[in-house]
Amino acid sequence: MRFLIAIISLLASTPAFSANIAIALTDDLVRVDTSFDGARLVLFGAVTGIENPETLIDIVSVVRGPDATFNIRHVEKRNLIWMPGNAQEIESAPGLYLTTSTKRLTDIAPLPDQATYRLGADFLDIQTIPLEEPDTALYANDRATIFKNAFLSEFEDRGLYLETVGGVEFKKSGLFTINVDLPATTPVGDYDVSVYLYRNGELLARDTAQLAVNKVGMERRIYELAHNRPVSYGVFCVTISLLAGWFAAFAFRK
Amino acid sequence: MQIYLPIAEIPVDPFVVVFMGAAVGFLSGMFGVGGGFLMTPLLIFYGIPPAVAVGTEASQIVASSVSGVLAHLRRKTVDFLMGGFLVLGGGFGSIVGILIFRYLREIGQVEIFISLSYVLFLGIIGVLMLVESMRVLFRSPEKTPTRRKHRSVEWMAAMPFAMRFRRSQLYISPIPPIILGFFVGILAAIMGVGGGFIMVPVMLYVLNMPTNVVIGTSLFQIIFVTAITTILHATANQTVDIVLALLLLSGGVIGAQLGARAGIKLKGEHLRALLALIVLAVCARLVFGLITPPVSPFVIEAGS
Repeated sequence: MRFLIAIISLLASTPAFSANIAIALTDDLVRVDTSFDGARLVLFGAVTGIENPETLIDIVSVVRGPDATFNIRHVEKRNLIWMPGNAQEIESAPGLYLTTSTKRLTDIAPLPDQATYRLGADFLDIQTIPLEEPDTALYANDRATIFKNAFLSEFEDRGLYLETVGGVEFKKSGLFTINVDLPATTPVGDYDVSVYLYRNGELLARDTAQLAVNKVGMERRIYELAHNRPVSYGVFCVTISLLAGWFAAFAFRK
Repeated sequence: MQIYLPIAEIPVDPFVVVFMGAAVGFLSGMFGVGGGFLMTPLLIFYGIPPAVAVGTEASQIVASSVSGVLAHLRRKTVDFLMGGFLVLGGGFGSIVGILIFRYLREIGQVEIFISLSYVLFLGIIGVLMLVESMRVLFRSPEKTPTRRKHRSVEWMAAMPFAMRFRRSQLYISPIPPIILGFFVGILAAIMGVGGGFIMVPVMLYVLNMPTNVVIGTSLFQIIFVTAITTILHATANQTVDIVLALLLLSGGVIGAQLGARAGIKLKGEHLRALLALIVLAVCARLVFGLITPPVSPFVIEAGS
């Protein structure tokens, strides 16, 4: 309940007649521990300055994961076997992109808005550059589009880019919650959570919140050791293995 | 129930992984083989990224070889001098293997290369073992195997730095064992295997070492080379997942004990024919994976 009070007090500072939206997260840290198998993110929000908010408005939420560089390759048949071809680099793309909305995004926001606020993964600004000599004789533009679309559909298949319609639950007096399910393969890093308030295709207000997905506990210690002090980690692994092997021989010796 | 692997960065079912370790452990206990050449493909089939499968398997082999070598140390069936030269070559081989592995990873071909190496080696070994065991099984039993002529092979004694290997009762140059170790080291780094399946036949039939010291000495070499490989993979590629290794180990230890007991009840030729069939089955599965069109025509990897 604490966040609700926080939201309401936050909203109280804005003039009552102008429409506004605000959100808060139940927890601004998603902990990736040994038992991590995905997580449910609950967004608490409030809409103010509108009569009968449940019926007239549309809400869109966007959960955007950390941007990263990817390489994408087309798998082709060469001689007898299927081999990945030369790489195209995806300069920068979010590791996770989940939208939740009251209606289909195309029915909520006009095209220019969708493009501006990147409502829907299709509107992400994804640039591809050939890393190596391209395999195909396609024009550069066609190639870029093909690889961009391939990247989007691959990430959709993996559940990393998803568009959910109807995940917004209205409570009384302009309060709402949105449940966003993060998949088990959620990348760690800093996230932006944004909400957009629409009425009749017009953007009335928006708000953002920060979220972090971090490894904690043993996961974190192992990961950090492996990446920050790899030699020590290697020696550690060998030591553990030597001890485990010795222990096994000892335990089963008759 | 799921356990999230810190390095592989995927959740796995711990019971499935422990069971896989136990199944491969059972086979390795039964047949007296390391099992790396079965475990790594199995991990890849299960969905572990190939690079992590290879790096992690190296550390698991360290553990299983340690428990194996202790018995041989007690029986004094380890030729330390020979083992030392094998490790010397193996260390350099491992470095070269890691460099090749890294390069292949950069050009995005490491998975294909691992699969192809496995198809090649499993195919050759499987066919040779099957032919050999069939010949023994279907021939009249009174034919004894051909007797070994001399211990020391002249061409290896004629090479520079020839010396006496007391426990192996050999007088040869250390160059052939170094070369053998080097080659096995490359395989260890690229394929995530101990390399016993290559080393043991070469020690027996090329170096002409006596049977009783071959296993202990190869285990001795495998411990050091897989330990070096583990550290190198951890340093160069960050692909050693200790949680995964421990899960595999806990299953593997129990499996190996049960397997060793089951192995006593079977005849050597039957065992070898069975192992040959398993090896060929894994090989066939890999070939199938290479020649069938992939589910997704695109692969995506993390960029730099």
